[in-house]
Amino acid sequence: MPPADHAGRGAGRDGVEQGVERGRTRGVDGGCERGADRGFERGVALARAARRGDTLALHDLLDHLTPYISRICRPIALDDGPDATQEALVAVFTSLRSLRDPEALYGWVRGISVREAVRVAKRAARARPAESADVPERGDPQLAADIDDVLSRLSPQHRAVLVLRDVEGMDEESAAAVLGVPAGTAKSRLHRARQSFRKAWNG
Amino acid sequence: MTQTNVGRLRVMGAAIRGAHLVEGVLPSSFDEVWDVMGDLEGGFGDFQPDMRSVRVLRVDGDRVEALARSRYGMRAHFHGVLRPGWGWLQSRFLVVGMAADALDDGRTRVALTGGVRVPGRPALVPIGARGELEQAMRRLGERVR
Repeated sequence: MPPADHAGRGAGRDGVEQGVERGRTRGVDGGCERGADRGFERGVALARAARRGDTLALHDLLDHLTPYISRICRPIALDDGPDATQEALVAVFTSLRSLRDPEALYGWVRGISVREAVRVAKRAARARPAESADVPERGDPQLAADIDDVLSRLSPQHRAVLVLRDVEGMDEESAAAVLGVPAGTAKSRLHRARQSFRKAWNG
Repeated sequence: MTQTNVGRLRVMGAAIRGAHLVEGVLPSSFDEVWDVMGDLEGGFGDFQPDMRSVRVLRVDGDRVEALARSRYGMRAHFHGVLRPGWGWLQSRFLVVGMAADALDDGRTRVALTGGVRVPGRPALVPIGARGELEQAMRRLGERVR
């Protein structure tokens, strides 16, 4: 599996991280460090072989990256996570030949996945503006216990910065670079996202 | 995660320069369609272009190794993956990709890709591939009818 748990190292332990951590451990390989390193090496080796024309390696790379991309897209695009995952996969595999350094595979994939997930989530929000009324009430304990419901109260941009910082464990500058915004903007978005998340989480 | 097999094949098609993807919806059930597509030594050779016979040499989980012979006597030694609704086979010179998904109304969405490999990079020779794939789709439709 991909190095899902290179993420989260150094993340704080406030309500936001704990909440996201709960969401993360539900459907993803918990992954010890050695397993994550093996996953990293396998992904890089598959990417190298695929770029040399081995389509079976390309096939295995698709198997390998799909859960990783899904894990990034789902908390950002929520119900549209499968669409976002598909679009991110197409974007990643279309431009795989442009990846100069296969060692940078995961960072590169992560950047594309976040951008695609935000794009799909924004598009969905435009197409279904009325659904914002369906957001669960803060006082509903059953729904509030579900991380997806809490995340659904945030904007796609806020979900993206939370995923990068608190799920993927990126620093502010790297997260800002992925999102294509200045570091200060990423910082203030993260602050607002954490504040909103904490409010919703604590109900 | 609910990625469809046809969606996966679209991703593979996007990754391989020159690859064409031919899609269709067949009026038969998934089981009827996949009984033909996934039967390498039977139905597969009947609808895929230029396959006179296919012999499965080895199966290990979802990994398969097969030897195909064309009408003109050429042989292709394939390695690949075969799962319900999904097949990806590669030989030194050829690639065959196929996918099928059950639709809610009982029909089956099918997609095919493949062709002659370009050495050294993920690419297929685009010439003639679309026509062959469309022909394969027609044959498959006739075979499962």
